[in-house]
Amino acid sequence: MRLFRTTSRQTSAAPDSPEAVVADGLTKRFGDFTAVDAIDLSVPRGEIFGFLGPNGSGKTTTIRMLCGTIAPSGGSATVMGYDIATQPEKVRDNIGYMSQKFSLFQDLTVDENLRFYSGIYGLSAEGFAERRSHILQMAGLVGRENEMTANLSVGWKQRLALGCATMHRPQLLFLDEPTSGVDPTARRQFWDLLYELAREGVTLFVTTHYMDEASHCNRLGFMYRGRMIAAGTPSEIRGMCSDQTILAITDDDRERLLDHLEKQAVVHEAYLSGASVHAVVDSEEVCAGSTLSIDSGDLRVRAAACVEADLVAAGFAGARAVVVQPTIEDVFVHLVSQERERQG
Amino acid sequence: MSLRRIRLLIWKEFLQLSRDRMILPILIIMPLLQLVLFGYVVGADIKDLRLAVLDRDGTTVSRSVTEAFTAAEYFKLTVRAHNDADVQRALDGNRASVAIEIPKGFADQVERGESAQLQLIVDGSDGRVSQMAGAYAAGIVNRLNTELYPRQAALAKGNVGIDARTRVLFNPAVRAINTMVPGLLAFILLISTSAIMSQAVVKERERGTLEQLFVTPVGRTEYLTGKLVPYALVSVVQASVVFTVGTLWFKVPFRGSGFVLALGLALFLFTSLGMGLLISLVSRTRQQAQQMIIFLQMPQMILSGFMFPLEVLPKWLYAVTFVVPLRYILVVVRSVFLKGSGLAELWPQFAALTVFAVGIFALGLSRFHKQLSD
Repeated sequence: MRLFRTTSRQTSAAPDSPEAVVADGLTKRFGDFTAVDAIDLSVPRGEIFGFLGPNGSGKTTTIRMLCGTIAPSGGSATVMGYDIATQPEKVRDNIGYMSQKFSLFQDLTVDENLRFYSGIYGLSAEGFAERRSHILQMAGLVGRENEMTANLSVGWKQRLALGCATMHRPQLLFLDEPTSGVDPTARRQFWDLLYELAREGVTLFVTTHYMDEASHCNRLGFMYRGRMIAAGTPSEIRGMCSDQTILAITDDDRERLLDHLEKQAVVHEAYLSGASVHAVVDSEEVCAGSTLSIDSGDLRVRAAACVEADLVAAGFAGARAVVVQPTIEDVFVHLVSQERERQG
Repeated sequence: MSLRRIRLLIWKEFLQLSRDRMILPILIIMPLLQLVLFGYVVGADIKDLRLAVLDRDGTTVSRSVTEAFTAAEYFKLTVRAHNDADVQRALDGNRASVAIEIPKGFADQVERGESAQLQLIVDGSDGRVSQMAGAYAAGIVNRLNTELYPRQAALAKGNVGIDARTRVLFNPAVRAINTMVPGLLAFILLISTSAIMSQAVVKERERGTLEQLFVTPVGRTEYLTGKLVPYALVSVVQASVVFTVGTLWFKVPFRGSGFVLALGLALFLFTSLGMGLLISLVSRTRQQAQQMIIFLQMPQMILSGFMFPLEVLPKWLYAVTFVVPLRYILVVVRSVFLKGSGLAELWPQFAALTVFAVGIFALGLSRFHKQLSD
């Protein structure tokens, strides 16, 4: 117990900075390809920061730079107050990291994995005993200490990986797609564990492409083609396309519906979202161009009615269109298409 | 550098080795299997070549020729032919691989002190058999000459003083196994060490544990030490097994110094580890690494003098052998075993081995550092 208090005191005694992560123009180039293009970041201590973006947008490269495993080509960053370029060892002592591969040694037992990581982080015997029982309990692996890790199902592996990554009680934890390939129940359980860590004051830096997980975060950053194209709290992000109307349209044949909507000039964007197709429109434009005349009610509702009528006329007999509040996903689709237009 | 972390990494590596159902048997069984295969099959002298005899003379002298051939264990009489067709059938039907024909009047010629002809027919479809059969037959005929022509032989010897016999140095019995076992010592070190080492890093990269370890306080040097030490230890055990079985079971003489042998093998071990490391770093998957090892094995086997003498190679191919490290260690192990050579005689080979060990290992290291920082 004492050992951990000392460890955490050491951590907080590090160069005092209210921010867990600060990046300034951080850049990584691989040959001609710029994987991360001058991004700025600021993550206050104790926050859950959601780092979002499609595959290949530079999230993992950014994390690897922040963890001190690869050197940046430009810009600078401090992690827990330590410079990633000049003090990578200090950085690694003070962070935890968990990747989507749950990098456990599959051919070692649960206990051996714990023992290994505890040794790597230099825990004392009593320190290990305390952490071990805590982690086994947290992961629900009490009584299964001698089981081979390879035989555990995904959810257990994931929790054991979290345990190993937090063996030394880091105050900052990087999680790179920690829930990919995990079923929804296990995902929810896992987020409960993350919340618990956050309550203890641990800063969490999480990448994910599950948009529902984004709403669990205090703050979001969205990466696209190596650049940070949006950042803010979830509600700030949602407000970013208030000038647009989002319609959720349902029909029996979603694919054909999507095809049709993509060809309509008034529909700015159309994409599958859950059971429906989301269409982004400008309400005034839709109503002005429609032959249908509804004189009362909200402009957006009228736009929905117009689109629905057009669809029925086009042969989608069962089509229904309703106005929905933009989700974070809607905003990102919007931002990405804006960015694409901007870049040509 | 933390000794505690290195110890932990080594402990982990051995645990993983002990759980790998494939690797451990390969480590122990492969050297023994190779010893048996190479020792008993490739290294063995050819015996009991099937012999057909067509004796057209039918005299005591001609019978003594047949006896001379079958007395040694090299030939075994399988067919007594009565005419040319019999001989042909025996060779065609694989009932004989060598035939001798003693012409009529053979004994008379011998008695008169004239030169007598003896025809030897060898099945050339197996190059090794025909070569050996020719050599054995020449030896037997040589001996026969001194028996059948005592006067002439004494005369020739006294007059000109030519001794036609070849004296074989160092390996008087010309036991092929005496050159095969020392060679195996180096060869096994090469294939098993580079093979398991090549798997070592790529496996961790595939599973993501490499990535994980480098966000912990584990340093690169610590990681590499933790990888190399277990495999080096395994190689030492393998080499000891081959050495022990080779000297005790196959009775291969060891005339040199253990220190010189160990030094040579240690240098070669570093070369093999470095090679394995390089392969591990350039491969994306374990399978790729494995294929690369197999791809590299064959040329090394042939271009090093392990199986065939280097003299048979054409000039341009011979030039390639200078960059095959196995070539140098083979000279070292064979010379230390059979001639008892020391550093004074073997310094050129040791110099070459040092260059390879340092060069290849350094290349592996720099590639390792570069790859991880990118």
